[in-house]
Amino acid sequence: MRARVAGGALLAALATALVGVGSAGADGEVTARVMYYKEQATRVVQPMLDGIFDAGDRGTVDAHFLVDAITSASAATGASGVAFTEKRYEAGATYRRQLDHLRLGGTARYSTEPDYTSVYGAVDGDLELLDKNFTVSATLGVGRDTVTNAGAPPMVPRIEGHLTTLLGSLAVSQILSEHGVLGVSYDLIRLDGYQQNPYRVVAAGGTLIAERHPDLRTRHALAASVKWFFPSITTTVIGQYRFYTDTWDLHAHTPEVRVIKDVGDWITLGARYRYHHQDAASFFATIYPSSDPMVAPYVSDDPKLSAFDGHLIGGRVEIAGGAVGAGGRLEQARLELVGEYVIQHNHFGNGVVSYVALVLPFEY
Amino acid sequence: MIASLALAVSSAGCAAVRPHERQDLARRSMTADRGKGEVRSDQHRAGSREGAEGGTGEPGGGCGCN
Repeated sequence: MRARVAGGALLAALATALVGVGSAGADGEVTARVMYYKEQATRVVQPMLDGIFDAGDRGTVDAHFLVDAITSASAATGASGVAFTEKRYEAGATYRRQLDHLRLGGTARYSTEPDYTSVYGAVDGDLELLDKNFTVSATLGVGRDTVTNAGAPPMVPRIEGHLTTLLGSLAVSQILSEHGVLGVSYDLIRLDGYQQNPYRVVAAGGTLIAERHPDLRTRHALAASVKWFFPSITTTVIGQYRFYTDTWDLHAHTPEVRVIKDVGDWITLGARYRYHHQDAASFFATIYPSSDPMVAPYVSDDPKLSAFDGHLIGGRVEIAGGAVGAGGRLEQARLELVGEYVIQHNHFGNGVVSYVALVLPFEY
Repeated sequence: MIASLALAVSSAGCAAVRPHERQDLARRSMTADRGKGEVRSDQHRAGSREGAEGGTGEPGGGCGCN
């Protein structure tokens, strides 16, 4: 119910914004998309709506609403492996305003499901320098989550925990030539509060006990990317790499390559490969010799905290309305079809991801 | 710090590209080759299956899939 209220409020705010700032010739784009994810024990169907609209001469509003419908007998819920189905609702909006060489923005996001509620807000700014060849971006965000074990059987004692997330992000981008851009970013994320899964249990001292995670976690992510367009073959190549480390001693390397080929004016083909490798968190184990908190203060066999690697291989096709003779604004409308295969060398197993999207530009 | 970064970049030999030379840089494949919703879902999926997050300017999470 709360999610429906939030969604309605978002749409009302959008409508108000549009009425308030509407002027002839303003542009917008609405995207209806459905994501489908399936792995060994989990299936997710996620319909979503994204919209971006001009708001006055110098502003834009970017908003989304989505529903996660999750069915799982999941490793994520612990050794109990009990099947569950639940829905998560999320709404978010960002307003950005251009002020000469500076662009300022603010973001709000709300997510709710039966046992988890999250509120997040952020402010960001982009500063364009050197005749817009060099851009510096900064973001500061704060989130507050509430987690419960509302899905547990009635005889299980109630749990309620809170988690505060602080984000600081700094990014720079530099135009390298008429065809290339370099980007570098650093994210610092501090999590303080309840971070375990309230349903997940772990084998310790010959019995199953609730997992225990540290309350504090500081994450560092350093990422770099190069985008290059090759005019002779109308192809863009994007290379990315992220190094990650945190105070739970988990380190990860994640390179990715995407290739996007324009076939004529109306069709785009794409390919993607992503590799992920990580070590285990310092306290991770599948079995602990003791359940005594004095001996093992933190216990978890969360597959996400294990050492593993994985691959993602994907392809995409985008067809614009012009390919079938559509005119006017529909010429730029497009259908996006994406299929990806995820290889995960951990307890979750392999999975498939697909997206179908219809993108409609409009003028108001 | 920003001034230092700008100075470092400008002295690194990167040629200034003028606005009228940026038509290829403005292509969708160079600015947003994937839709926001697709990127958001991809980050959400990765965040619920991997121990690493970040590098995107957003904290991820915000759900009970931990």
